[in-house]
Amino acid sequence: MNIKNNYIPYKMRVAKITEEAPLIQTYRLEFVDKKEADEFSFKAGQFAEYGIFGEGECTFCIASAPTREGYIECTFRNTGRVTKALADCEENDIITLRGPFGNSFPIEQWYGKNVVFVTGGIALPPLRCVINTLLDQREKFGEISVYYGAKTVNDLTYKAELDDWANRGDMKLFITVDPGGETPEWKRYIGFVPTILEQNPPESDNAIAIIAGPPILIKLGMPILSKSGFPNNRIFTTLENRMKCGVGKCGHCMVGKTYVCKDGPVFTYEEILKMPVEY
Amino acid sequence: MEIKTINTTNISTFFNQLVQSGKIVIAPVLKKSGKIFFERVQSYNQIETDYIQTAFSAKSVVFPKVEELFSYSKTTDNFETKQSLSDIPETVVWGLRPCDSAAFNYMTRFFMDENPDIYFATRKERTTLIAISCAKSDEACFCTSVGLDPGKTKGSDIQLTLMGNEYYVEVITEKGLSAIKTSESLFTSSTEKSKEKYLAEPTTKFSIEEIKEKMQNAYDNVAWGQESMGCVGCGACAFACPTCTCFDIQDEGTGENGKRIRCWDACGFSQFTKHASGHNPKPNQTARRRQRLLHKFKYSVENIGMVSCVGCGRCIRICPAHLNIFENILNVTKA
Amino acid sequence: MKLLQNKVAELFKNGTINLMIGFKNALNKQVVPCFIENSSQAEQLIYTADCKNNLSVYLHKPEVKKIKKVGIIGNIATLRSLIQLTSENQLWDIEQTILTVNEKDEIILFKNMREVETYVQTYFPENHTEEDKKLLEYIDSLPREERWKYWMEQFSTCIKCYACRAVCPMCYCTQCTVECNQPQWIKISSETTGNLEWHIMRAMHLAGRCIECGECGRVCPVGIPIHLLTTKMNQELFKEFATRPGFSLKGEYAMNTFKPEDKEGFIK
Repeated sequence: MNIKNNYIPYKMRVAKITEEAPLIQTYRLEFVDKKEADEFSFKAGQFAEYGIFGEGECTFCIASAPTREGYIECTFRNTGRVTKALADCEENDIITLRGPFGNSFPIEQWYGKNVVFVTGGIALPPLRCVINTLLDQREKFGEISVYYGAKTVNDLTYKAELDDWANRGDMKLFITVDPGGETPEWKRYIGFVPTILEQNPPESDNAIAIIAGPPILIKLGMPILSKSGFPNNRIFTTLENRMKCGVGKCGHCMVGKTYVCKDGPVFTYEEILKMPVEY
Repeated sequence: MEIKTINTTNISTFFNQLVQSGKIVIAPVLKKSGKIFFERVQSYNQIETDYIQTAFSAKSVVFPKVEELFSYSKTTDNFETKQSLSDIPETVVWGLRPCDSAAFNYMTRFFMDENPDIYFATRKERTTLIAISCAKSDEACFCTSVGLDPGKTKGSDIQLTLMGNEYYVEVITEKGLSAIKTSESLFTSSTEKSKEKYLAEPTTKFSIEEIKEKMQNAYDNVAWGQESMGCVGCGACAFACPTCTCFDIQDEGTGENGKRIRCWDACGFSQFTKHASGHNPKPNQTARRRQRLLHKFKYSVENIGMVSCVGCGRCIRICPAHLNIFENILNVTKA
Repeated sequence: MKLLQNKVAELFKNGTINLMIGFKNALNKQVVPCFIENSSQAEQLIYTADCKNNLSVYLHKPEVKKIKKVGIIGNIATLRSLIQLTSENQLWDIEQTILTVNEKDEIILFKNMREVETYVQTYFPENHTEEDKKLLEYIDSLPREERWKYWMEQFSTCIKCYACRAVCPMCYCTQCTVECNQPQWIKISSETTGNLEWHIMRAMHLAGRCIECGECGRVCPVGIPIHLLTTKMNQELFKEFATRPGFSLKGEYAMNTFKPEDKEGFIK
């Protein structure tokens, strides 16, 4: 029977651990089996099931860009049983990875367009994958803008990368912290992400918007994008829901008829509006 | 397809020959509790023949309530994983009803159409389904409301219909042919006969085409609250149902050795959709029951073109409050 | 039935209740819970000896609590559940109107929980069926090892559907012990030892609280007489502590009450 077993994971070695923010870490993973590394490929927006034998698996995006070979990165917050066990890992430990699952951002359709990212807190990881994928082919895209904020300076993820992006000179960055979250040295924006977005509205002409984040960010940010002229089919988001199998069978992630794991997690706002609000 | 007959006096011989062939034979057995379950048997005299429907479906043959996906064990600087798909035995399920056979059909589409499931595929390939048409039905049966009927052969490898002192035998698939091969002498070739007067006549509650259309707009119907009040949030309906396929994946063991298993789960459980953050997209029983019914009568239709309810009525019989799925459907599709 | 239906219709009309949890006839000659929201629906209501469900379990539902003014009808076991739940402070947010029908087929509408308490203390009917009594006798007759084997055999058939928990009025935890995964105290999948752990844990949580309505055993899809496990626990507790759940609004929970007369001296 020539059917792929979707439940057998790859074994990955933890190559590097970066403390991003309180409770948030980035793990750089390398395939234990080099042959599997060569066979593995993924597209920006896809996710994987990361696991620890004996604890279980949980779902996060693949946070590194597919254009960067030799490793996979994931960024997660220590929240529950599996993330706690992952957070307790050390370099050289073995964790499991199943994937890649889901659909991806249709980046090829964005050539020549401007791309706007709006996100906050720990929702940057899935978009960071896309941002870096675009940056690795910078000449193919127009203006790239990133609106990103966190509660406090300390809660920002990918701090070093944010500096790199700022230093590039070919991106528009609006990095902000919530009022009261700034430090004396903070020189960037202060204000909630939707506020900063509203005060610096992006141009919607020939542009794509990607918004991802906690419900409150979507609730406040989406209307601002619409007001700026982005039609629903040019606003993308990536949904999160409870997942287990990753292949559209176990039923946990269903939103209406849609399996977030198989038919998503990338959706346009137009598609989101057709779904019942069960995510 | 081949049509045969077999005398009722020979049916037990055929059955026992299936057991002797070395296959595992699963058939309805009457338990001390008075309920009838599919269980492994060694001879025809162990099986129950006078019943309308079993308490649970036979889906555990292809989708067990607990299934080992693989076992893992730590080596010096890596882990080894092992699967045991080759251990799955050849199995015959005897005494399914036509609704159950149709359910296997649905499960095959569900598990195999996209991202085919190797565990299901392996088990299904090694399973032969011998169904018996229904001569009786009760008020919970509603197969004729979902496009099926007590004599339909969809999904069966062999279908038997009792006609007086003989069984009318429809051998529908290659698997069915190979199952009767060693007992060929017990069977007589036959011409096609009408089963109609030997079949039960469950009342048709609704037209499935009409329901499919009305379900398009049923999500916001205020009736869901009333229709879900009786639901206490257990998993009995999902576990008894021949088409429910939701499962959980759990690791059982230590960090060094153990197994990853999948086991039955139910969308009626309060934690089914709960995120680690505590957020629950389906926070009350109304939302959860609505999900179950919409899944069967709308989402399955949208995703694979099939209603995933076969009208067997098990959920109604087994529910602690005997929630009536077809009554619920009728009420949430009223304007 | 007419009397009951008229009584309930009246309760709606005079604003005493906005929801009535009762029974109605259903298919296959079954009697099932029904939820009536106005007086015109009262004609569905029936009350017969077949009305076995313990409807008090529905009083935990947020959908029911939201309606606040709730009428409920039940047998002695249901009334005892209401008393036990009241003594555990679980019904403070519902304005209940409680009805029962006695052996003389008279409808009793209780004015308050005190009346319910008096009623259950006056009538103490045997609520075990003949079948249950026989099975209890059989279990009691078994030597310890055989009794263990009996229950292990029963638990090997458990499918972890949690119907027993779902229908139990005393199981009202918003997050059950089995739903905790840090640590996973009891494994999720169905397997004899894990099933045993689940049932023992539940029996311990119910010891001295179970009012023996028998619902858990009635609803078990695989026919495990699980209600007899908690019945046995209650029998043990009555022997040791003379406590009976569901009898007094000032219910004393044997497992967390200490009295100076208790023979165990370790706490002194």
